[in-house]
Amino acid sequence: MDTADDRTERFERIASTEADVLGDLADDVLASDPSFTVLQEPNPQLLMQRVREPVEHRPFNLGEVVVTPAEVEVNGGRGFAMYPGKAERAALSGAIVDAAVDAGHPVTGRIREELAAAAERRRSDRNHEWAESQYTAVDFETMEDDL
Amino acid sequence: MGYVAVKAGEELIERAEELFEKQRLEGETDPVSVDQLDEQLGRLSAQAMSEGGLYAPRLAALAVKQAQGDTVEASFLLRAYRSTLERWDETTVVDPAEMVTTRRVSPAYKDIPGGQILGPTKDYTQRLLDFDLDGEDDPEDPTQEWDIGGEEPPDTLDNVMDVLRDQGLVHEPDGPTDDDPADITRDPVTYPAGRDAVLQALARGETGAVTALGYSALRGYGQVHPTLAEVRVGRLPVKIEHPYTGVEATVTSVEVSESEAVVPVYAKRDDPQFAFGYGLTFGRNERKVIAMTILDASIQLDTEDEPAENPEFVLNTVDGLDSFGFIEHLKLPHYVTFQSILDRIRAIRENESVGAGTADESSRDADEQLAEASDD
Repeated sequence: MDTADDRTERFERIASTEADVLGDLADDVLASDPSFTVLQEPNPQLLMQRVREPVEHRPFNLGEVVVTPAEVEVNGGRGFAMYPGKAERAALSGAIVDAAVDAGHPVTGRIREELAAAAERRRSDRNHEWAESQYTAVDFETMEDDL
Repeated sequence: MGYVAVKAGEELIERAEELFEKQRLEGETDPVSVDQLDEQLGRLSAQAMSEGGLYAPRLAALAVKQAQGDTVEASFLLRAYRSTLERWDETTVVDPAEMVTTRRVSPAYKDIPGGQILGPTKDYTQRLLDFDLDGEDDPEDPTQEWDIGGEEPPDTLDNVMDVLRDQGLVHEPDGPTDDDPADITRDPVTYPAGRDAVLQALARGETGAVTALGYSALRGYGQVHPTLAEVRVGRLPVKIEHPYTGVEATVTSVEVSESEAVVPVYAKRDDPQFAFGYGLTFGRNERKVIAMTILDASIQLDTEDEPAENPEFVLNTVDGLDSFGFIEHLKLPHYVTFQSILDRIRAIRENESVGAGTADESSRDADEQLAEASDD
């Protein structure tokens, strides 16, 4: 049974998986000729990024972020994806992948493996970037004694 | 002043546009790809995103290419594109402490929670032209020999303002509010402007304008000379409520620059605490975000004594598209309005009998004079 946390984690993993990986997975799902309905066309839309400024703790609108959402139904399972940027194919592929898992499609096992692998790649990249920055961590010394 | 439409011919406008496009292509090198701009000239696309108020790195790189490197023109293209899109929703409110930081320095304190990280910067090196970059062939990654691990970044980094707040040196806010903030992309700014509107307007302000006005306060045309509590660069998560589960989910992240400052105006207050300023904007743009911090602090003084302290003056002049449009419209045809001005001046001169000896010459039609000149 798909829990809310499973679904949310899958959503996040789809949003950060490479577009060509999602495309391949979606092609595999559609190759079995399932029932397929597009509920929301993949068109670029805007998210207004809200931030709580840390001085007075009040939210403000920083600016908008372009994302592409899509929603589909595959074999009775529903899928929703949102991909960063103007990315119609990736968003539609992501929604198909999400719906396929929801419907228990035979490709589900491979989808889970590919999404987990992509998440690991992303985690590794992020950790490496953090490690690079940490390599420049500095401990400034005041030189008042030398003056 | 009224405006009168003119027409010239669509074909001529197309020819002018084709000449503009030719300037990009007439060199002997291959066209610059959008990927190259995105990867190698990220500061340009970051500036276009910041001033356009729209985060979309690849589209920003495309806009920079189309604008031939003119960042304000590129931000214009981004805002025009943005106007064609629907808004899906607002994100959930994110705390800047959640930023995955790649650079963080504190000019105020030597030792800060989480430490200082120089990150990718050339701040501490000499500005000398590197002639090796001209004609470089197969360059090597200078960090490839680094012996580094891969530990997880912390979930949050406490900010320096909290250190001061813990000591009672900065005003303690009433508590988090979740009121919907003003959105100047939908409702025009009215005065007095709320701090939410001020921060949004400054975040999308034109870099040069924000920097110049911030600088004016430092140069003595204002009271604010802050100490920066910290400057950060990193990635902020973009989160929504998942439409099926209602659980908060991360869609992506956006690169931002952030700055916090304290301002010693304690001598003028009953309660001797620091005033403060805050800046946050899309992309890597430390110059702009520090200037934004100065302007936020200056605007809170809300005086008409100095330009930087006058919220209406600042917010009416920092937007790149507003100033770009108004300044550049002056080069468009103003024939009818100018003719009207000429007529008025001639009438005044005639009534006052000024320059009687040249009256005939001055009243001749300007077109007639131009025609004569072209015959020469």
